Amino acid sequence: MNDELALREKVVVLSVFGGGLHPCKPVKFKRASGREIQVSEIGLVYPALRGRREIHIFDVSDGQADYRLEFDARTLSWYLTQEADHYER
Amino acid sequence: MNDSINPATPLVMHIDLNSAFATTEQQARPMLRGKPVAIVNRRSPNAAVITASYEAKAKGVKVGTRMMEAKLLCPGIIAVESDPLKYRFVFKKLIGILSDYSPKATMKSIDEGLIDFNGMAINRPMIDVGMEIKQRLKNEIGNHMRCNVGIGTNRFLAKTAAGLHKPDGLDEINSKNLRTVFSGMKLRDITGIADGYGSRLEAVGINTPLEFLDADIYTLEKIVFKGIVGRQWHMRLKGWEVDDREFKMGRVGRQYVLESANLKYDQIITRLHSLCESVGYRLRSQNKSARGIYVYVRTQRGYYWHKSKLMTLPFFSNKAIYNLSRQLFFYAPGEIREIGVHCYHLEDYDQSQISLFGDEIAREKNLNLAVDTLNDRYGEQTIHSAHTLESGDFVKTKIPFGGVRYF
Repeated sequence: MNDELALREKVVVLSVFGGGLHPCKPVKFKRASGREIQVSEIGLVYPALRGRREIHIFDVSDGQADYRLEFDARTLSWYLTQEADHYER
Repeated sequence: MNDSINPATPLVMHIDLNSAFATTEQQARPMLRGKPVAIVNRRSPNAAVITASYEAKAKGVKVGTRMMEAKLLCPGIIAVESDPLKYRFVFKKLIGILSDYSPKATMKSIDEGLIDFNGMAINRPMIDVGMEIKQRLKNEIGNHMRCNVGIGTNRFLAKTAAGLHKPDGLDEINSKNLRTVFSGMKLRDITGIADGYGSRLEAVGINTPLEFLDADIYTLEKIVFKGIVGRQWHMRLKGWEVDDREFKMGRVGRQYVLESANLKYDQIITRLHSLCESVGYRLRSQNKSARGIYVYVRTQRGYYWHKSKLMTLPFFSNKAIYNLSRQLFFYAPGEIREIGVHCYHLEDYDQSQISLFGDEIAREKNLNLAVDTLNDRYGEQTIHSAHTLESGDFVKTKIPFGGVRYF
């Protein structure tokens, strides 16, 4: 089973801006429930257009589940839009 | 024509992403790594697998396997819905990397690229270039990305070399090792030799790639392939280039497997309409108009029905495609499982052509252009006909199996 949850949850993200493959690195984020999630790996970062609005998508993991964070470059806000976990072999 | 093996230094490089969509998902979602993954367009039992990860392939899951069958073959397989945006990003990154090495870098399909170094001054071994590309893929996309690199004197041998050591190979086929490589392959391992050609070759006693390589041109041209194709195979196998040509776009189309077996006729018609809008958009995005329309149906019992019509004047609008498709669809059988619409006899859309209906055509073109522009900017099906309101979510554009022309 593969549980994928589509979300539109505003989150607070602590990011580091530097160089390398991912100039913007989300380090951890805090969900609406108050739960903090430590990002252990950034999988893929890619841009998307929603109309004229540019969104940066960050597929990340905390080692327990995969998450999709979206950064809206116009409003400078972060959203959690997907959570996927409970993989069974 | 040359009868010997091409002795030139191999300068054609084929780059093949391994199980491209599945690898991309495993790159993006670390929790999927090492697990059997199937990419599907819809997470339903009847959905066909578009790409299987290597872990799933090892259990017998192939492209086209239905999910219900895949779960039997590979319990625990994870179905992931395709995400064209992600694959487009990887595709663009890959073409960007390849273009750094030669102006003659092209993507042959969504997951296969080709670099032709002929005519360029290369001051290092091609194997080094191949290793660098593999490393750049990891550095510039992600460390889970892997690819096969093949090097040969022509496209065919480069592609064959890329398939020798999956999933992370780097091989060269040259005049010295060609026979050794062929001796380790089966006839049907050869790209382009499926059951049809394979049976024809076997019928004349050609059972191995080496026998195919050594076959005389008369046998291939006059007996097996009955035409120029035989001569091309004779040269291709020996490493001479015969595939360096562009193919014209022959048709534009889309198909859709109905989400339920219990849809009413009117509901199926709305899905047909959605397909027509999608086909119209693709047609216009290539600056083409069409003269032919082809509609097909596959029934729940596997029966294939089709009907086509060739028009005198070209058409390009959603409305025209739908009206023509609907006329043909009237004759379709019941118990439908899959529908498809294709436009063929494509021509470049020429606005300068004088027509008695010039004003009307110009209006129709402008309207379609406006709708396409809005959909480009605000997303697929932002503007569509009211008739497709209910079907739009089901008939969303998904990732195609092969080509890159809509990228």
